[in-house]
Amino acid sequence: MELKVNQDNCLGCGVCVVACPVNVSISPEVAGGHGSKTEETIMMVENGVIKLFSEDKCTKCGTCQVFCPVDAIWLE
Amino acid sequence: MVANTKEVIEEDICVSRSSADEKREWSYKDELCVGCGICADICPVDAIELEPIGGIVRTGAKKSKISIDENKCVLCGMCSVGCPADALDLKIDNKSIKEMDSYPKLIKSAEIDDETCVFCKACETACPREAITIARSLPERSKLVTGEIEIDKETCIDCGICEEMCPADAITLSHQIPTSADPSVSSDIVVDKDKCVYCLICKKSCPVDAIKAACRTCSYGEYDLNPEDAEIEGSSFIDDDLCINCGWCQEICPVDAATVKKAFKGELNIDQDKCTTCGACVDICPCDVLSFPKPADSGQIVDKVFKDEKYCIYCGACGKVCPVEAIDVKRTDVDYTPTKSNSWKNKMESLKS
Repeated sequence: MELKVNQDNCLGCGVCVVACPVNVSISPEVAGGHGSKTEETIMMVENGVIKLFSEDKCTKCGTCQVFCPVDAIWLE
Repeated sequence: MVANTKEVIEEDICVSRSSADEKREWSYKDELCVGCGICADICPVDAIELEPIGGIVRTGAKKSKISIDENKCVLCGMCSVGCPADALDLKIDNKSIKEMDSYPKLIKSAEIDDETCVFCKACETACPREAITIARSLPERSKLVTGEIEIDKETCIDCGICEEMCPADAITLSHQIPTSADPSVSSDIVVDKDKCVYCLICKKSCPVDAIKAACRTCSYGEYDLNPEDAEIEGSSFIDDDLCINCGWCQEICPVDAATVKKAFKGELNIDQDKCTTCGACVDICPCDVLSFPKPADSGQIVDKVFKDEKYCIYCGACGKVCPVEAIDVKRTDVDYTPTKSNSWKNKMESLKS
């Protein structure tokens, strides 16, 4: 399984960024919705769309896909 | 050396090896797999890998929860013996090693004693795996309450109030458009005495007192009732394939008719500080042990994840799925039938942590 994103579908809401349990443990401020201060997180919203940074850290728990309202991030 | 062959049917997998002496067949049923990864841990040749179970279970992906390298697999069957969900099996010449005394097996069971069971179906409702079926036949209602009822059709004005009021749907009026030949709005009124419970609501609500009714049970009480007529008969069935011996049936049974024996003892520890409430463990747990607690009052701070450990089988699936290593499942005891082989013994003991 691989983590995939579709930037054309992305709303830029960032719910995946704050829901991702790995992101929160890497950069606790993302849980508060303040945006990550590091590119060590798995994904971030950049210029209004989602972008993957450290996707190798993904444990494939599926939380981002459960929360994404528009099928812009998923496991395949 | 004879090569193994692998067959994949949807999410199920089969690996087999046939030689002149014997035929070995390993099978995996994805529907039964709980994603605990014990098979991968116990495999002596590292042939099995646990796939990303969180993603597979939560997104409904059409993908097996484990993968097996048929070139590494030696078809020993150790994984099938360690599997707490009976998702794996090894057959030698069409006989499962779980039926052979020379192989160890986990000592686990779930039983419902039909003599004690009152067939209330609480276990059927509670079972997280829908493994229990309770079949029951109820007594005939007409034998539990008796009485007399009569409608005087001369007095009856066909208003239909009794039909509408009857809680047992025992009264039926045949409604019709009146004609000059038959200037009434009903051709007949019928009481189904098998359905009638002699509650007398029709009699009390009839505007023209056309109904005479009496309840014998009210007059004579219990004396009117034959206890045999009130008996509920039934039988219980536990699907051993689906059952994972979680113990919900035993806990919920009001008459202690269910007995569950678990193979593992242990501890389930959750680090509430590390938990990020992603819910992967709650979704993966096959025993409904984990849940998100709701605060009783507003402003009350509760644990992030609640555990009800009496239903835990210590399979470890939650620990494997947790993305932030907040869950630690310890197995302190593994109950299995004896075996002479030291290798098997060592592997069974290795399930303890």
